[in-house]
Formats: sequence, C-alpha cells, structure tokens
Amino acid sequence: MEFRNRDYVAEAKIHSLTRSNADSHPLSASYPSFQVEIIDDEKNDIADPLRALSCNVAHPFEDFPDVHNASTSALSNDDATQILAKDWTTFKRLLMQRFPSSKMVSISSIAAALLKSGKTHEKSSGIHVDELDDPEGSAEQDVKLISRTEYISRLSELKNEVGHAWHTDDRITSLKLSIKVARLLMDTTVLQFYPTSFSLATDILDMLGDMVWERIKQKVEFQEDGTQLCSLPEDFQASDICSDAKETCFNWFCKIGSIRELLPRIYLELAILPCWRFLVDRPADVLHRLVLMMRGLADPLASAYCHLYMAHRAQKLLSSDKGYLITCIIEINAMMKPIISPKEATDERSLKSKQIRVSLVEPAIEYILKCIFKDPQQQVSNILVELGLGQNPSELLGRSLFISVIVHHLLKELPVEVISGNAVNILRHIEFSNDSSFDQCMNFRLFGFRLSERKCSEDVVHAILDMLIQFISQYTNLEEYLRVVDGYVDIVLQNQMKTHLQVILEGIATRACKKWMADSELENLQSIFLKILSHLNCIEDALELDHFIDILDVMRGKSRNNISMHILDMATRNDYISHPTTIQFLSEVAQGLHDVTNSLNMMDEDNQRLRHLLSRFIQMVDYGTAMEHNLAFLVESRGAFAFADELKETLVHSGNRLAIKAMKDAKVQLSFVRSCLAFCEVTIPSISSGIKQLNLYLETAEVALACGLVCHSDGLIDSALSSLRSLALSSDSQRRIDTDCIISAVQKLCSLLVIVPGNPKFGVAGIPKSLLSLANSPSSITPRLRAKISFAIALMSSALSQNKLPYHASSTEVFGNDLLFFGDSSYRQELVSLSHCILQNMLDVIQQESSQVVRGNLALEACNCIASTLPMNNETLPICAKLMDLARSCLSADNAYLQSTSKFLDSWSWISTTTAATTTGCYQAHPDFSQPV
Amino acid sequence: MSVEIKLSRPNRVYSPDEPLEGKVITKLSSSISHYGIRLTVDGSVNLQVRGGSAGVIESLAGVIKPIRIVNKSIEIRSSGKISSGTTEIPFSMILRHPGEGNLEKFYETYHGSNISIQYLVTVDIVRGYLHKSFSATSEFIIGSGKAELLESPDSSELVMFYMTQDTQRHPLLPELKSGGFLVTGKIPTQCSLSDPLIGELTVEASVVPIHSIDIHLVRVESILVGERIVTESSLIQTTQIADGDIRRGLTLPIYVMLPRLLTCPTVLAGPFSIEFKVTIVVSFHSELQKLHPKSDPRTPRLWLAMETLPLELIRTR
Repeated sequence: MEFRNRDYVAEAKIHSLTRSNADSHPLSASYPSFQVEIIDDEKNDIADPLRALSCNVAHPFEDFPDVHNASTSALSNDDATQILAKDWTTFKRLLMQRFPSSKMVSISSIAAALLKSGKTHEKSSGIHVDELDDPEGSAEQDVKLISRTEYISRLSELKNEVGHAWHTDDRITSLKLSIKVARLLMDTTVLQFYPTSFSLATDILDMLGDMVWERIKQKVEFQEDGTQLCSLPEDFQASDICSDAKETCFNWFCKIGSIRELLPRIYLELAILPCWRFLVDRPADVLHRLVLMMRGLADPLASAYCHLYMAHRAQKLLSSDKGYLITCIIEINAMMKPIISPKEATDERSLKSKQIRVSLVEPAIEYILKCIFKDPQQQVSNILVELGLGQNPSELLGRSLFISVIVHHLLKELPVEVISGNAVNILRHIEFSNDSSFDQCMNFRLFGFRLSERKCSEDVVHAILDMLIQFISQYTNLEEYLRVVDGYVDIVLQNQMKTHLQVILEGIATRACKKWMADSELENLQSIFLKILSHLNCIEDALELDHFIDILDVMRGKSRNNISMHILDMATRNDYISHPTTIQFLSEVAQGLHDVTNSLNMMDEDNQRLRHLLSRFIQMVDYGTAMEHNLAFLVESRGAFAFADELKETLVHSGNRLAIKAMKDAKVQLSFVRSCLAFCEVTIPSISSGIKQLNLYLETAEVALACGLVCHSDGLIDSALSSLRSLALSSDSQRRIDTDCIISAVQKLCSLLVIVPGNPKFGVAGIPKSLLSLANSPSSITPRLRAKISFAIALMSSALSQNKLPYHASSTEVFGNDLLFFGDSSYRQELVSLSHCILQNMLDVIQQESSQVVRGNLALEACNCIASTLPMNNETLPICAKLMDLARSCLSADNAYLQSTSKFLDSWSWISTTTAATTTGCYQAHPDFSQPV
Repeated sequence: MSVEIKLSRPNRVYSPDEPLEGKVITKLSSSISHYGIRLTVDGSVNLQVRGGSAGVIESLAGVIKPIRIVNKSIEIRSSGKISSGTTEIPFSMILRHPGEGNLEKFYETYHGSNISIQYLVTVDIVRGYLHKSFSATSEFIIGSGKAELLESPDSSELVMFYMTQDTQRHPLLPELKSGGFLVTGKIPTQCSLSDPLIGELTVEASVVPIHSIDIHLVRVESILVGERIVTESSLIQTTQIADGDIRRGLTLPIYVMLPRLLTCPTVLAGPFSIEFKVTIVVSFHSELQKLHPKSDPRTPRLWLAMETLPLELIRTR
C-alpha cells in the first residue's frame, strides 16, 4: 500500500474561499474616515461602533441641563407643583432616614398630654437612680416615654381625625387638632426624633393648608348652590376674589392669629400661607414678617425647622423673590453661632449634644440653600451681595461671616461660574469660618472640587494655591492635610503647576513618613495618588517627582495595593519598559503586591487582575539589546512572583520570544538561546495544568527547532509526550472538558513532527508509534480522542511520505525528513505500516463511541481521512463503505457533511475535504507570539 | 312649619346707614292667613355688674337696666294669606334716617363680659287669637357707619417703651434686681380694628435668661352704677412673641391680630365705656414659676416684668 501523492498548495487553493475587496471596514461607522478623526486625537486606529455611538450621544448629553430646564418651565404649573411636592416627599423621607431614633422617645409631659395617648408610662422607677448620675435630671423631671411607633401611629391617627373633621364640615375641630399637632413641634427635647416628628406634623399641616386653599378657591369659583361662577386663573390677582371669599380667608388668618404660642401660630400661618394670595397681591411681604417673627424662637432646632417649613410652603406663592430665604440663612447663622462658639462649655457631653444639634439643623440649611439656588432667574451676584459674600473678606477683620456648615452647603450649591469668579474671596471666607459645626478642611476640599469643575484663569489658580498651601502648611494633622490636598490635586495637575505639586508632596511626606497611617488617611492618599498617576503620561514622570517613592513606601494595605496595581497598569499600558530603574521599581512594586496576595485574602477578582497585570508587566519588559538582562529579569521574576500558572506561562512565552529574538540577532551566541530554552524547560514542569504544560512544551520545541537545536527539541517533544500521556491517562474529572484541548495539542504535535528530523535511534516512526500505543492503551481514554489521534497520525504519515514535505523548519541547519530519508524505502514502509495499523482499528474505535452524532461525524471524518491519504482500492473501499453505512445509520440523510462526503467518495476524487486539511494545514513554521488580548 | 330670617349678607355685618336687607322664608305644610307680618329691630346695650370692683349690693342687684339704642318696627306685609310650601318675603329696613342725627348712637356690636351690645331683628306673623303667632329672631352685626370712619392711624403714633428692673412696681427676684435687664420697643396707641397691631420689641440686655415674652390684649369695661363707676378689666387674647431665651439686641416684631367680636372701637359713652390696653409681659426663667403653673398671667410675679399701655381701637376705612 502506498500513500497518495498530495499537492498541498493546490488543495489549499481549491478549498479556500474566494476573497473579494471590501469597501469599508466592518467595524467602522457609516462615514468612517470623517468620524474617526473627530472621535479623538489619541492613537486609536480602531473606530469601534461603541465609541462612535458615545460620540454621537455626547452632544445631546451636554445640552441636557438646558433641555431639562426648558421642559420644567414648559410644564404647566400643575406639574411644577407636583414636582415640588415630590421633592418635598423625598426630602422628608431622607430626613427621617437620616436620623434614626431609638425605639423609645422621651417627650415632655406637655407634648405627651397633647398626644393624649393613654399608654405613656412615666419613668417612675428609674428616675431616682438617673437623677444621681445626672445633675440635670431635676430639670427633666416631667419627661415621659412613649414608643416611636406609638408616636407615629398617634400622629397618623390625628391626620385622619383632621381630615375626617374637615369633611364632616367641622372645620374648627380640624383647625384645633392641627394646632395641637403644631404644638408638638415646640418640644425639641426629642432631638434625634425631631426630624421625624417634623415630617409627620408638617404632613398634617400641609393637608390642612391645602384644604383651606381649596375651600376658598371653591368659594371664589362656585356659588353657594353649586353653580360655577368662574375658573380662577393660575396667576389671579387679589382683586379677582369676591369679598365673601376674602372674608372667609381673613377669618382663617384671624383664627390662627389668636393662637397664643408663637411656634404653632407661625406653623399654622405657613400652612395656609398660599391663601394670602386671595387677600394681597404681594404676599412676599408676609414672608419677611414671618422671618422676623421667627426670631422669637430661641431654640435653634425649632427655629431652623420652622425656617425650613417656610422655604417649603413659600414655594407655593410662586414668587421669584428669594430675599426671605437669604434672611432665613442669615438668621439661622446668627442663631447657630453662639452655640458652636468655642467659648461655650467644652465638656464632652455638651460637645456631643452640640454636634447632634448641628447635624439636626444641617438638613434645614441644605434645603433652604437649595431653594435659593434652584432656578437662577435672579442674579446670583445679587444673592451673593445679600448674603454678604460679595464684600471683601478683609473687611471682616478675620471674623467669620458664616458658620462652616453653612459655608459648606453654600459651596455645594453655588453655581460654578460664581465659584470661579469669586474664588479668592470665597477662599478667604472659608479660611475665616473655622468652627466646630463643620470640619474646615472639608470645606477647603470641597472648594477645590468645585473649583476644578471649570477652568479658571491661571493667575487665580496660582493665587488660590499659594494661599492654600500657605494655609495648610500650618496643619500638623496628616489626615486634614490629605483631605484638603485631595481637592486640589486635579487643579494642580491640570494647570501643570509642578512646583506646587512638589510642595504638596513634600508636605505629605513630612507628615506621613514618621507615623503609622490610619485607614482613612490611606484612602485619601490613595485618591491623591490615583489622580496624579492618571494625569501623568508615563510612570517615569511619577518617579521623577520628589517624595513620590518615599510616600509610596509608607503606604500599606489595600490602598497600597490599589496604587501598585494602578502603577503597573499605567506602566504596561502603552510602551515596552526598557529603563532599568523603572524596571527595578516596578519589580519592587510587583513584588510587594505579590507578597500581599500571599498574606492577605484578596478578592478573586482582584487576584485575577493582579495576575493579569503581572504577566502584562513581564511581557512589556524589554531591555532591547541587553538580552542577558532580560533573561535575568525573567529568572528573577520567576523567583519573585511567579505564583500562578498564568504568570509562569507568560514567563515561558517571554523566554521563547527572547530566544527567537536572540536567534535573529546575529551577534548573540547560540549559548544564550540555549539558556533561554533551558529557562523555559525548567519553568514548564512547575505549571500545574497539564494542558498548558503540553502546549508550552510544544511551543518551546518549535522554538528550539526554529533555532536549529534539534537535540533540545527532541527532548522537549519527549517531555510533551510524557505529559500528554499522564494527561490522557489521568482519571481526572476535568478531562472530559480537556478532550478538545488534548486533541488540538495532539494535532499540533503531529504537524510539528512533520518537520522534526527522524531520530535514527527510535526509528522514524518512534514518536507516532508511542502516540498510537497511547491511543490504543486500554485505559479510560475516550473513543473520540482515540479516533482523532489516529486521524492525526494518518495525515502526518501521509505528509511525511511525500517526496517533498509541505513545509520545513525555518532554520537552515535542520533538514527535513524528505532530505534525510530520500528514497529510503524502509522509511516509507514504516509509515505505511503505521497507517495500516490505524486503518484496521478505525472502525472498531469509532463504533465504541457512545454518542450517535459524534459517531457519525467521526465515521465521516475517517472516510475523508482515508480518501485523502490513501488510494481507493480493494483494501480501503470496504472500510469506507462500512464507515459510510455507519455514518448513515447515525446521521440524518440531509446532513451536509454526510452528503458532501458521499459525493466526494463517489467522484473518486483524490482531493480531500476541508476537514482533513485542517489537521495539517494550520501549521505555521514560527509560533506567533502576538500579545494576548 | 318654620319661619326664618335670612339676611342678605352671609357675615351679617351692616352699617347703620345701610338698609338691613334680607328675606323671611316660611316653609308651611298648609296655607295660613295672618293679620300682617311685622319686622322689629331692637338694639341695646346690656350692662351687668358682677364680682370685680363692684360691691356686694351691686352684684346682688345684678343687671342694670339696658340702654336702648334702637327699637323699630315696620309691617312688611299687610294681612293676607301665605300659601303652603316655601315662600320668600323680601324686606328692606332703614335703620337710621339721616335726619335722626346723633340721638341714637349706633354702637358697634360687642360681646364683652359685663357689657354687650347686641342688635336683633325679629319677624312676627300675627294670626288671630285662636292661632299661635309665628316668630323668628336673628342677630345682625353693626359695624360703624361710613360717615364716622376715620383715617388710618399714622404710624408715627407709636410710643416707645422701656422696661428695666427699676420701672417695675412690684417686687422682683433678687437676681433680676441685681442683674438688671432692659427691654425696649415701640407700640402704637391707636390701632385700626381691621389691621393687626404692629410694633417691635428688643431685649437689649438681661442677665437672667428669658422664658417667654407675651403681649396681652386687655379690655377695660366701666359701668356707671349710681354714683360709682365699676371698672373691670379682662384678658381677651395673649400672643407670644418670644419663646425661650432669645438673642439680645434683636428686634422682634409685635404682630397681634385683633380678635373680631371681642373687640370694638373704643367707646366712651356716659353710662358705660369700653377701653383697651396692651400689656407686655416678659417672663424670666425661674424655678418659682413651676410652682404657680396656672396663675393669671397679669398677676405681678417675682419673675415677671410688665408694661401696660393704653390702646385706642378705631374703625377705619
């Protein structure tokens, strides 16, 4: 029996698809060249559709705020009020969540009486004990406890009662109940519970106010007998209102005016505040009076929330005047000042209660400021002047205008252009407002963030930073320093203020290097470093910065890891790394990361990222012509952080790449290539995954062959074989999944064997034989794998028996078998007998396959394999016939593969099908070392 | 079978110069005949003396003879028949003829503790001796006639007041006496009934923390009983303007809505007078206060500082 003569080039030509020129890149958008240029100036030569999309979207996105504004103004008033109501509801919900209170609420006895709940139990037993430790106990004698849920349910009951009374025309009762509810807000001893109580009470008051509004509106629009007189326009005037309705409306104000206590009187008037529109055309004056009346509320908490309620209710007046809100802020500020002044009692307890009070007042400040800057119809500069922020802070003589918590929220709300326009002034104000209500450094920091939202002129930026640096140089606390700096790093980097950056880093270094850093400090430092790193182009720039490494050295833990990862990521992102110091630095960073991974339980995700980064780093290191260094680096890396298979794999790849590179370089001696190969050879066994080992052995063998080192390649193939053996024979459950990998490895091995010179010691068919014996071993190897190995060997034998091998090793020193064994009949005979052997077993093996579809496909593949390698004769035909029968019994008649195979056999053509060609056709003489993506 | 009077204005407020208008509504199950429908307006000042500064005998004597302001009767329908179902009989009655001059002073409606000025309108449907007459009464309210209206008071008519430990005529807490305080302010002496009382108040200084600042509106009713004048003052309304220890030097607004019906223009008639006063009460923090939780707020106490100013109420345009 002989093998067919094959013309691989012709076969490939026939079976390859015809090619045609494409008009456009499949990934580019419809107007490729034009779009790409716009998208970005970076060196992105791939214009992917996602990017193009985001570019298109970018424009409408920038316009978004405008669109939003337009839409809100276009909305009818009804919708606007709905939005307001929604905002308020959300605000109240957040308010209640923000101050979770304990289950029991202690309320004053007056409030308890108002709640008239039967179940309040006095602190009778505990009170005497309490009094002993509590000097103020006597003052709180009449405190009652009530459970939070009871309080809430009682209030919702009250709400129902108010509503019910109203609907049964008992409006006086609903007013009386509402007054009762408002009185609850006089009790600020509940502290943490006050916001909840406020939300619930104002809910009832809002309801009452709306009902009164509706009633009077109805009086205007309808006659007593229910006929409609008119429909009141949204922007009605007081003169549109009939005297009867006015009378009723005025009565309401009179009734409310007769409430003795100040706070409930104000709350009730605020509740029906919108009704002033029925009486006067400029109800805004009422607001000014109310703000002044609130001065009578000495309790800051009650007063602040009262102001808050006013800000909420006044929105219904549809007045654009914001003066009263500004007065609110000024009043709250004046009221809070004495509380937080450092002169007041400084023992821990009062300090704490002070903090609680400030935190309770904060939401009110926040909401009112939001209202002020809600729609910037009014000139913001006016607002600034009215707030007193317009004046030069030097006139303040160092006194603060606002307490820092107000400054904080102002900074949050002020429009960007105002911030950048008055930067120096604002900074001064921040500097002066240094009190316990809010951490000053957080205000500095916020200011920095706000400032970086828009580009400022360089002079301003320099002035600001000079002032700031001078100021923070007095900080001894690292955390404060870091917090402030974090806000300004962006500005410094954007404006390329190198000296400032150096000063800042030095500041950090002097404060950080002596001490053990706390976690929060590390977090801030991390944020700063990330900003610096992401701004710099390459890692060398960062290394040039003084103190950069010093500070990095004192970092630890998660933050350090993040920074390290970022550094590695940044260093390996673009170019090869060739500078020895950089490599040294990065190695240390990598080493540090690796050490941490061992000691800490890192998240899987992080771990994977780390592995990826490290292998990327290994790939990117390139010493250029100093290849010995490169190899040394690989050896070092293996010792230092090759803890995962992925990394070892990368090391082997890099070793191989280095070998190829060395070989191409004429100056390098072969011994260096050998050492590269030796490095790979010793590295591979430490990889735990058998498949990876196998593939790497093959790859290295190829490289050895390409370098002309036949001995090495023989040894490596040997190793590959033994690892294949252990892989195939292992009864690992993993193996089923690996079968495909094994098959592809075997196929690759066979295609490699085509160019490996036959070793006379084992005979030319030594390796295939051992492969075959592996396939035929009675182990648990699957029939499919066995069949596939057979096909591969058959195709390889066919290739080897050709007069001219389809391809050769690239090294001129390695001779192909076609030269070595030219005309040697025993050589051919050996190959033929090999395939003979395969042929005999093929049918049996295939029949052992349990899956019907796989069996059918294998039979077809066998047919193709036989037909393309062997001539059709008496020996092969029956086998083919049997295989076809088998295939027909397993597959449906319209199976394309079945049809084409049967056609192929029928035509007696000698050309193999594409499937057969894939086995050998895919081989490339040089392994492709393209980077993993 | 019902008869009622429905006045043309829901708030039932009329000026003496205006005709009192409305309708008599009868709801009858069967038609009736009558000898005429008469409408009577009766206005009077009712005086009574009890407690207060009145002596035992006077208080026993109790009610003093009321002063009649008006008593008029007209026939709005002569004898005839009213059919069954709902019948509306409109009426209009002139309360004061221009020629009548000031003989009858139409005081504004007022309900006080010792003095009340009330106007009633009554309808009588007179039927024969065999049948019961129908009648219904309704109160209406007199606001001042247009001719008597005054201009709004000038805001310049504010008086300044000062309260210190030395202006107080009652004993004070020792710490108040020694520590001292100064509360100043402005308040009008004349105020229109339709406007709120607007003034201002400033706590300039106080060593003792302030508990509350209240404005009491007080009415002073005086009745001539024989040779004596019996005077009684009563609290109408309290309005708190400061709750807690407010900041010093801060000007607080005084804004007091005047209660309707409980106030009327200040009247200084011969047999009686109705006057008003404003009392500003500053109460300071004191433990003693807790011992007297429910005392008359006008009683001078150790922890209170007070200042009383007269207030003339007027009806304006």
